[in-house]
Amino acid sequence: MKESFTNFAAAGLFAGILWGWLAMAVNAATGAFPFEGTLVSNWAAFTAAGGLFGLIVAGAMRLLSGALPFKGALANSVLVSVGFWLVLRAGGALLSAVEPERFHVVTLQTLQGLFLSVALGVTVGFIWGLIGSRSPRRGAD
Amino acid sequence: VKVAFGEGAFWRVIVPALALGVIIFSAVVIVYGLESMAPGVHDVFHDFRHVVGMPCH
Repeated sequence: MKESFTNFAAAGLFAGILWGWLAMAVNAATGAFPFEGTLVSNWAAFTAAGGLFGLIVAGAMRLLSGALPFKGALANSVLVSVGFWLVLRAGGALLSAVEPERFHVVTLQTLQGLFLSVALGVTVGFIWGLIGSRSPRRGAD
Repeated sequence: VKVAFGEGAFWRVIVPALALGVIIFSAVVIVYGLESMAPGVHDVFHDFRHVVGMPCH
């Protein structure tokens, strides 16, 4: 049990950190948002936030292992990641409606965020398989 | 808890669920820049919020 817990946490954390760096690279390539912070401060922030997001996706996969619809870990991790992003984005849309001066919506950044949520799912699913943790699939538990 | 979730449920279900709840709460604070919850979080994660497509000023 503890081994399983450690495996999914390590997979999620590692994948999330990699994804955070990927997100920086993707944004640098697309130019959707001109970075305002320094490279070092952004590297630290994206590493921390990426690790957090990776942990959430892996943790949700582990806890929802019996309820996820797909057989493979990759498809399930993409589903969880995109689902989580959509929930956060819906909350953001609500905040934007309440406080439009504070919360601006930028379509290009939203599309980039959706793409990155898919990328997070792929990264977590791939690392999960690489570490060799038992793939969460329907009826596994 | 044992009746509801079976043997070993505390470590298998309850602890991971609580940990995930705390982590999700942290993520929400970051993506919405909730200064009232964590002073300074808005500036530290400002670029991250924009990059992942969350509304921000």
